[in-house]
Amino acid sequence: MSLLAVDKISKSYDGVLALNRVSLAVRQGTIKGLIGPNGAGKTTLCHLISGLERPTSGTISFGEVDITGKEPYEIAALGVGRTFQALQTWGNMTVVENILAGMHTRLPGDFFSCGLWLPWIHKGEKGALPEAKEILESLGLLGRWKWPASQLSFGQQKMLELGRALAMQPKLLLLDEPAAGLTPAEVKKLSEKVCQLREKGITILVVEHHLGMVMEIADEVAVLHNGELIAEGTPEAVKKDPRVIKAYLKGGGVDA
Amino acid sequence: MISLILPDPHLPYRREFIKKRDFLYLGALMLLPVIWPDSLFLMVLAGIYAILSLGLSLFLGYAGQISLGHAAFFGIGAYTTAILTTRYGVPPLGAFWASAVAAAAFAYLIGKPILKLKGYFLALATLGFGEIFLVIVRESRSLTGGVSGIFGVPWFSLAGFTFDTYLKQYYLVWGVLIGLVLFAKNLVRSKMGRALLAVAASEDAAASVGINVVRVKVGVFVISAAFAGFAGSLFAGVMSTASPGAFGLGLSVLIVMMVIMGGMGTLYGPIFSAVFLTWLTDVLGGYQEYSLPIFGVILILLLIFFPDGVGTRLNARLIYLISYWGRKRRRERVER
Repeated sequence: MSLLAVDKISKSYDGVLALNRVSLAVRQGTIKGLIGPNGAGKTTLCHLISGLERPTSGTISFGEVDITGKEPYEIAALGVGRTFQALQTWGNMTVVENILAGMHTRLPGDFFSCGLWLPWIHKGEKGALPEAKEILESLGLLGRWKWPASQLSFGQQKMLELGRALAMQPKLLLLDEPAAGLTPAEVKKLSEKVCQLREKGITILVVEHHLGMVMEIADEVAVLHNGELIAEGTPEAVKKDPRVIKAYLKGGGVDA
Repeated sequence: MISLILPDPHLPYRREFIKKRDFLYLGALMLLPVIWPDSLFLMVLAGIYAILSLGLSLFLGYAGQISLGHAAFFGIGAYTTAILTTRYGVPPLGAFWASAVAAAAFAYLIGKPILKLKGYFLALATLGFGEIFLVIVRESRSLTGGVSGIFGVPWFSLAGFTFDTYLKQYYLVWGVLIGLVLFAKNLVRSKMGRALLAVAASEDAAASVGINVVRVKVGVFVISAAFAGFAGSLFAGVMSTASPGAFGLGLSVLIVMMVIMGGMGTLYGPIFSAVFLTWLTDVLGGYQEYSLPIFGVILILLLIFFPDGVGTRLNARLIYLISYWGRKRRRERVER
């Protein structure tokens, strides 16, 4: 059964077609890789799924729900977590606060009850902290939990972003270029972490420019080129597809 | 080293909600009238401005949104109290709450459309709101008394006790401030406080974890307007008048100045700088036409040397020094 189904989706910016009738399905409990050369429309697709941008035509459904044109926070509340290609950690908060803020939808309270610190707010905050620390521990960031997030290294901030998405206990996780800018050792750690998440039952869509990591961990791979889906299948089959090889060579070098 | 760069400790994991330094501040507040009775009137005014800047600190310092029309909410609070007490004989306490509700209601109505704007555009829209408020107040003479305003607002009173001296008003204003500080402290250590900071740093990321960005912005705008409404009500009660001259652009800019100088993302900083700027305005008042240039030069110097606000820097430095001394003493004790 597919958890996420993208159906014939198109997106154009002032007449420039970024995505042309792309259909994609992610099955429950699997890792799907989405690869393609620069400018293929990978990040656009990611933005469309998470609601930051609206498609020109086509529909996106998550489970049984049609999420086309919904606000980003509504989609997130349904259980779609994501990380960003360019770092979007909150540098004005500490590391642990970043994780706690990720739990926003799971904690009770509004402005009034928070300001008066009513009993259930206290209970929620008290329970949230050990959980946040657990997440930090699994990412190897516990030693820095009191640090301002802006003081972490690039790789650690990437991990923190992943942790923030995990804090909302997502059903589907969109990883937008998680390996970009990481050292090989960090990439390896990330791959292991992502595989662990699949075992926990989280469905994952990895959008990547580098082939290496995706080919290793993904159950299925889809290839985007110039806004069109040119291949889909197991990593081995996609690797041998002549159209994929051609697209990558023209687009500038295979990074595998 | 970390304590040097850590922002003001508004961390949720802190068990002690009230810390030792809070008692220090409270003690200083209680003793001030004994030590320096001449400062009372100024401190009453400073307390009112502190309430204003505390409210704006949530909106500007935490949520990162700019408002150049906050004096209008202050004015709405003052006029609500003035009109209700002088025309309809409402008791001051009722008018006090009504002022906050009125300011909050206006904030909700204008917040919905204008909080879609960002940066300079939001600054301009709120600036426009402030000016429109002034024009309406000046022109609707039957309701607000036009340019001359409303006189004879009764002293604030509570269950037969009238706050008719500066000393009583001082305790009233700072008492209200303490209550609001507790509310704000709770807010910023809770999930809503984190949502505010998240919206300030990255709205896309905030939305990606399920934070309703528009609702958070409107909510904090309404709360900071309610704070301004409380301040306005106290202002009308203390000055016993409400006239448009007190609620102009100058005040709006002054409050923004207080928050920026006090430090973005702190609660005590804006209160301290509200006291400082009120005192500075008063001292420089003696130099008449030179007062504005001197004021400007002092502000520029402060912003050059303390670009993150005086409160933050001093706090961080103090925390660093104290923790350094603490560590040193502990080390010496262990060595012995």
